[in-house]
Amino acid sequence: MEETDRQVPVTVLTGFLGAGKTTLLNRILTEQHGKKYAVIVNEFGEQGIDNDLVVDADEEVFEMNNGCICCTVRGDLIRILSGLMKRADKLDAIIVETTGLADPAPVAQTFFVDQDVANKTKLDAIVTVADAVHLSSQIEDHHEAEEQIAFGDVILLNKIDLVKDENIEVVTKRIRKINPFAKIIKTTKCGAPLKEILNLDAFSLKRILEVEPDFLESDHDHEHDDDVTSLSFVSNTPLDMEKFQNWFGKLLQTKGQDIMRTKGILDFKDENDRYVFQGVHMLMDASPMGKWPENKERSSRLVFIGRNLDTMNLKEGFEACKSE
Amino acid sequence: MTTDLNQFPELDKTKFEQRGIQLEIGVPVTCAVSIGNNIAAGFGDGTVRIFSSGEKHKTLKAHKGVILCMSKDGDSILTGGDDGYFLKISLNGEINEITNFGSRWVDHVAAYNGKLVCSSGKVVYYWDKNKKEPKSLNHDSTIGGLAFDAKGRRLAVSRYGGVTIWKKDYSNKWKSTKLDWKGSHNKVSFSPDGKYLVTSMQENVLRCWRLKDKLDFAMSGYGSKVKSFAFISDTSYLATSGAIDAICWPFDGEGPMGRKPICLPYIGNKQVTFIEPFPDEKAIFAGLSDGSVFLSQIENENNTIIIRSFTGSEVSAIAMTHDKSSIFIGDMNGNILWTSIWDK
Repeated sequence: MEETDRQVPVTVLTGFLGAGKTTLLNRILTEQHGKKYAVIVNEFGEQGIDNDLVVDADEEVFEMNNGCICCTVRGDLIRILSGLMKRADKLDAIIVETTGLADPAPVAQTFFVDQDVANKTKLDAIVTVADAVHLSSQIEDHHEAEEQIAFGDVILLNKIDLVKDENIEVVTKRIRKINPFAKIIKTTKCGAPLKEILNLDAFSLKRILEVEPDFLESDHDHEHDDDVTSLSFVSNTPLDMEKFQNWFGKLLQTKGQDIMRTKGILDFKDENDRYVFQGVHMLMDASPMGKWPENKERSSRLVFIGRNLDTMNLKEGFEACKSE
Repeated sequence: MTTDLNQFPELDKTKFEQRGIQLEIGVPVTCAVSIGNNIAAGFGDGTVRIFSSGEKHKTLKAHKGVILCMSKDGDSILTGGDDGYFLKISLNGEINEITNFGSRWVDHVAAYNGKLVCSSGKVVYYWDKNKKEPKSLNHDSTIGGLAFDAKGRRLAVSRYGGVTIWKKDYSNKWKSTKLDWKGSHNKVSFSPDGKYLVTSMQENVLRCWRLKDKLDFAMSGYGSKVKSFAFISDTSYLATSGAIDAICWPFDGEGPMGRKPICLPYIGNKQVTFIEPFPDEKAIFAGLSDGSVFLSQIENENNTIIIRSFTGSEVSAIAMTHDKSSIFIGDMNGNILWTSIWDK
């Protein structure tokens, strides 16, 4: 059996206080009959969680001594996931609920850094529940709310029944500006189909080829300096592999703290394969993913989500990687 | 001419596998300890199985979930589980609850001559001999490992940022000393001579302190996390997992600083995942990620024999009986070998 066949998918549920994480969690647990889930929670006692296997955890974030200042991981997750993998009954999925004020990066990075965790489990997706009524002000006041949007693969814009249509539009735009590739689902009481929340395989490189993010040029008006934004670049000229690796490696090394997520599909000169990568801060997963489809034009696409992106000369850096 | 290998099903079995008992339990073996000439093994479904020579093994339903840790306490074992229970189990199958922490896991247990210790989260609970109520020893982060020294006077508690060493002073008050090193420390052990303290870290490295002057140093170069290590033959060597060789650091004389370790190679280039000393000898059992187990003499790498061939699942427990006659091997898929070591 392949190693990947045995990897248990892990869904991370994040979202600001009161957005509806526990509502969504209980929906998942009650609607998916006959499935065996383990739920790792941090704010217990707030609302009851209806599941046999609930593990209380302290969110313990620590730095790895790997010369990478922003590489923090969740120590409690390493311990709990390795414990869960010793169970006799095989789990269908694991759901990690973070506290409302948690930065999702250490959770995601845990799956890159710990080999045992990476062998036996896989990060399926980060699902962010956002409160349509309060999101705008939460983003202004709390960098955590912004980070949760930045890291989301799926964003449930919840409580839309309490907001006027034009305001929903405003909030959606705000989310899009931070995160162009998340799927936004508008809900009341987190009522989204579960198949759009679970088993998404959002962190697999294959999946990046299937989901086309909004490759729109972001506008730069009226932003605070520390706002989280996104920038994307497209090139129809093939890139020079060595130049790209030098530029991108150095970029992540020096600016990795501000760059939260990256994704890209790259067309290198003299290479027949498509190169796909995705990263969380300084950690990256990259691989050739087979030949370019014959009916599709070859091009390179690159998306950044982070802070202070406009100070990194990303456009110039990317342009300089072109092979001609 | 072709040979039908199926005619010889015993062909690729080692003599130990042919001689011993092989079981497929189908549940991960999480831990095993020897009690006299018996072996107690803990499993991912909460059962404890007791193996004694010449009889069928006994199965005890002890925990509701995974048995996370186990320690010998005289003629009994202590177990901690993800069901929150801390239990004492005797060889004849009597199970006593020491305490339970509800939904909080019991991550580590240790014992010394009637003193019982367990950790749950950031707190170590310590029961003095015959005491009903434990003393709580608090730490700032979750505990990665527990170990008594050879005399049972000092208790080392590994955690994030280093190790705390607890001992009682002459007025019976608890005193702690901290050994600091940034990072997450897991398994911890004193050297049998009491001179060194070693931890394995989240990174692929071991940290060691020479206790007389707190000089600390790293033992590095591993390809993966060091999940298992053991001092060999008093304090001659520290044998470690985490590489495709068993790495044995010399701890005699002035210790390992500036000296090269002995690397014991095994066929197949698989990671060593478990190390168990052969008592009183400069020899180790090394369990690999493919389930195979070898016995090797540290100072003579040519003297290596295969005990168990591969099963496809990481070796997670090895224990030898006190009389050195029999060995127990278990892996993450629940494949077990229980066999005598010596030719009859």
